Amino acid sequence: MKTKFFAAIDVGSYELSCKIFQFSPKTGMKEIDSVIYRLDLGSESFANKKISKEKVDELCNVLNSFKTVMNTYKVEEYKAYGTSAIREMENKMILLDHIQQRTGIRVEEISNSEQRFLNYKAIASKGEEFNRIIEKGTAILDIGGGSIQISLFENNSLIATQNMKLGVLRLEESIKHLASNNINFESLLEEMINTQLSVFKKLYLKDREIENIIVVDDYVSFLMQKYEKEGKGTAHLSYDRFHKYVNEAKTCGTFEMARRFGISEENATRTFISSVIIRRCMKVMGAGQVWSPGVVLCDGIGFEFGQKNGLIKEEHDFEQDILACALNLSKRYLGNKKRSETLENIALTIFDAMKKVHGLGKRERLLLSLATLLHDCGKYISMSNLGECSYNIILYTEIIGVSHVEREIVANVVKYNHLKFGYYGIVEQSSKLDKQAYLTIAKLTAILKLANGLDRSHKQKFKDIKISLKDHDLIISVNTNEDITLEKGMLENRSDFFEEVFSIRPVIKQRKTV
Amino acid sequence: MKSKFYASENYWNRELSWLLFNKRVLNEARDKQNLLFERLKFLSITASNLDEFFMVRVASLKDMVNAEYTKKDIAGFTPKQQLEKLNVATHELVNLQYSTYNRSLYPLLMQHGLQLITRHEELTVEQAEYVDKYFEESVYPVLTPMAVDSSRPFPLIRNKSLNIGALVSNRKKEKKELEFATVQVPSVLSRVIEIPSKEGLKSIILLEEIIERNIGKLFLNYDIVCTYPFRIMRNADLSIEEDEAEDLLKEIEKQIKKRQWGQVIRLEVESGIDKRLLKILQEELAVEKEDIYHIDGPLDLTVLMKIYGLEGFEQYRVEKHIPQPVPEIAEGDNIFEKIQKQDIFMHHPYQTFTPVVDFIRQAAKDSEVLAIKQTLYRVSGNSPIIAALAQAAENGKQVTVLVELKARFDEENNIVWARKLEKAGCHVIYGLVGLKTHSKITLVVRKEEDGIRRYVHLGTGNYNDATAKLYTDVGLFTCKESFGEDATAVFNMLSGYSEPLSWNKLAVAPLWLKDKFLYWIEREKNHALNREPARIIAKMNSLCDKDIIAALYEASEAGVQIDLIVRGICCLKVGIEGISENIRVRSIVGQFLEHSRIFYFENGGKSEIYCGSADWMPRNLERRVEILFPIEEEELKKKAFHILEGELRDTMKASIMLADGTYEKVDRRGKESYSSQDAFVMEAKEDAKKSKEGMNKRVFVPAQHME
Repeated sequence: MKTKFFAAIDVGSYELSCKIFQFSPKTGMKEIDSVIYRLDLGSESFANKKISKEKVDELCNVLNSFKTVMNTYKVEEYKAYGTSAIREMENKMILLDHIQQRTGIRVEEISNSEQRFLNYKAIASKGEEFNRIIEKGTAILDIGGGSIQISLFENNSLIATQNMKLGVLRLEESIKHLASNNINFESLLEEMINTQLSVFKKLYLKDREIENIIVVDDYVSFLMQKYEKEGKGTAHLSYDRFHKYVNEAKTCGTFEMARRFGISEENATRTFISSVIIRRCMKVMGAGQVWSPGVVLCDGIGFEFGQKNGLIKEEHDFEQDILACALNLSKRYLGNKKRSETLENIALTIFDAMKKVHGLGKRERLLLSLATLLHDCGKYISMSNLGECSYNIILYTEIIGVSHVEREIVANVVKYNHLKFGYYGIVEQSSKLDKQAYLTIAKLTAILKLANGLDRSHKQKFKDIKISLKDHDLIISVNTNEDITLEKGMLENRSDFFEEVFSIRPVIKQRKTV
Repeated sequence: MKSKFYASENYWNRELSWLLFNKRVLNEARDKQNLLFERLKFLSITASNLDEFFMVRVASLKDMVNAEYTKKDIAGFTPKQQLEKLNVATHELVNLQYSTYNRSLYPLLMQHGLQLITRHEELTVEQAEYVDKYFEESVYPVLTPMAVDSSRPFPLIRNKSLNIGALVSNRKKEKKELEFATVQVPSVLSRVIEIPSKEGLKSIILLEEIIERNIGKLFLNYDIVCTYPFRIMRNADLSIEEDEAEDLLKEIEKQIKKRQWGQVIRLEVESGIDKRLLKILQEELAVEKEDIYHIDGPLDLTVLMKIYGLEGFEQYRVEKHIPQPVPEIAEGDNIFEKIQKQDIFMHHPYQTFTPVVDFIRQAAKDSEVLAIKQTLYRVSGNSPIIAALAQAAENGKQVTVLVELKARFDEENNIVWARKLEKAGCHVIYGLVGLKTHSKITLVVRKEEDGIRRYVHLGTGNYNDATAKLYTDVGLFTCKESFGEDATAVFNMLSGYSEPLSWNKLAVAPLWLKDKFLYWIEREKNHALNREPARIIAKMNSLCDKDIIAALYEASEAGVQIDLIVRGICCLKVGIEGISENIRVRSIVGQFLEHSRIFYFENGGKSEIYCGSADWMPRNLERRVEILFPIEEEELKKKAFHILEGELRDTMKASIMLADGTYEKVDRRGKESYSSQDAFVMEAKEDAKKSKEGMNKRVFVPAQHME
């Protein structure tokens, strides 16, 4: 393998950054250059849903200068993502096209959950150390400008993730006018954070033990990296020491804090808010240690590139995280784990057998798994309106690592499993799905419908099946001595849609063991 | 407690301290152990030093007084008080310069076969004829005589130029009225002119004497009453409004043109000048009485440098040192391979600067090199480095050059190079707003088999192959990743990106450097308090940062042994009871200009040693981008420490600061005579010889058949 260079660009709300990574067999993934340019796009974007011409010019100039950095290493590939400032713009389509015309750089909008997932991947890219930390109960606390994201780990995999509108800038904005002094400021802050965190605690924490908090932010991480890092690894602090730092910061005030740590006064306030959030989370979760891996979005972008191109060894199974999250979600809505697993097994077997026909890939297979795991979550709310309710639950529950479009696909697949399929162009216009996504929905729905029919009685009669494609028939051979009349009947009913989509007829063959 | 270390009575004024430095240089001119022509050179250096001092320091004090600025300096003096003290001290220094010239050097020159004719009346008939002919053929055509009367205003007298002022009277006018006339001694002609002389003697005369002798030919209708040379110095410090200047480059170009029209801050006249002539000068130039210097001898002693260079007196000059090859890098070696093998430490001018030039030359041609980044502060005329950088850009390498336009007096020079580089396709950065880039760093990025490898050169001296023969500096070549990453971050920062989260190895001013120094000094203090080995040896050009000095006082009081080798300004006082009894200050003034900055901290036995571009001055630590780098390899640390050790051992060229602030040469009684600069020259020669012999040993000797 030849040495490969890749550039990751993050068009963030408050700064633009570009990192150059080198992938080589000998050194693996390695950061070789990193530049950051402070540019506040967020304030304008959040307030006016647009940014001024001056900002656009500056943005383009900086992106052009990033190209110079990329040229230094003769970088062949890059990925540029725009985060919340871009997300919140009304005219982002126009702006992104304009940027591409002027700089040649294609900036893509990234959804919150994808962004958080990349951050998470960046942390996981720390390899061994990360694996060691998550052996024990761990939470990742990803603090952004507008919101925070808490993700929980148990037994080495991610089990839940939740977004809360407690971002540093949002908090600053909302209590700036209320607080008269530092002490007062702190208690107001604590109160605001607490109301949301206590809900989170009731929903997710229960009797889970969280020992470590891994923090990703723009402020505290910076200081931890600067003052607490030993050698190359991550920096960490115990709760007591962290608590002491926060108290010191409180008493010395922002000016002194800025001087002492060599940061701007504006950042000192934000650092303080960020540290109060961290401390509150530690307290609520009873965590004893806080870790700072010192990673940023660009690290995740680089890692993802390496992953997709087989340039790095994966030590952590990220798909497992997504599935574990879905499973946990299903559990919350009292889903039947056993039934979900049978359904998943059948659906995936059909998917694999149909590979040549549907032309879908690994990612869609994962979406199908998600759909099977969540196929009946809506019954928690209404057994008769199962389809609509499931659809809404899935659409409004964040699953880290799954983009908004993907979530919508899953939600639709689950919906149409229960309801009549809504064809493209007839369905309500609010959906942002394109044709491609629509076809995926149709194909996955057909498979799920079929699989669901095969397990109609919910007795897992079809546990041991073999499926193969023969001419225009899909032969489903099942090893069971039980009566499968119900399933056969249901199949007639459900095969129509399957045939409509794939032009293939499912046929059941029963083998009875004597 | 803190106030004791910060009390202003515990500090010397920096300007007076600078004058003491110039006096130490003057002492070299007075030292009979130095060869005659070397003594001329030292005297010439004191003159050019003083010129620069006036244009920058005195000028800025004058500005402050004009602006009624009364903030006190480190030693507690207001600008006005400083000027008063300086005035006395400067007049003394100038008197000492000329007594050295008149009483020692001038007669000695005659004894050694060089006749300097200072009065044209002393010329022989033959010589006079020669001189007059020279005047008519070469001098007359370039002169612009100017007379002043009611219809012609007083002419512009150029900064630092030598002029001849005359009182003349118009023959045609009935009423005999004295008028002022002046002519500039042209700077395009050599001021020293060789004239025919007796066998075994060389005779020279100064250009102004030739003009004075023939001045009647310039003012034909006038009677010449008297003629005297004079010279002025103007306020030349540049103060640029950076936030307002849209294009820094254009602004500086403008400033340079303006420079000649500054306020006159010094007037030098020949002693015995006609009072009427002096009065006209004083009034027209608006110069204060205390700023007039009556000179007993030729004005502007920088002319002695010309005499120093005269042919035929080789035996009275120190043999020119030829910088020796660096043993780790033989001629024709691939420098990148050598750096891969090991870090390389160099000591200039004892060792040659060529590897640094070759580093860039090779990078320009090397197919694996992707990018070259360099800071250029003061470059020499026809710099081979500029040529190599331009070539690299033409070869398709990405070349980024930071050209610092604010280097004092060198702006004109820098702008020319900057334009040249831009034309060749280099990316030229013109410094940072509000900060001078003083750091000396070069980064070469190479794409090698297993990925990117970065080669870094860090130095204490400018990338100037000419001064590298005269200034003592150290440099380091390394391709360690930690240094490479930092070097990349330095250039990113200089390109306008945010500073990195943290640095691996380098300490960079203005953001981090001072804190680091204070931390290291305090660390020594704590070691001393814990009764662990604690020592600081620091070598630099100037020491005048109050926080650093206070920290040193505190460390000294705690028992840290501190040796400072400070060539120039030193505001620290030695021997104050309970404050600085453990601090010793010495200054080395020798053949080469001491320029390297090396800092040694004992650190309880785990010693650390750093080199860099920064002095312990507020301007270095707060208003400049400076880099300090550690020397880590044991072998290299020894080399760096050896430099400090040698200079502390010096008994020939070192002067020791006394408690009263004056300096005294080392008392040599009972001590060996040791000149560190001479010793380093010898060592460099030996090292080069050894490595050459080592190479020769690699010759294969064919075995011979033995009967």
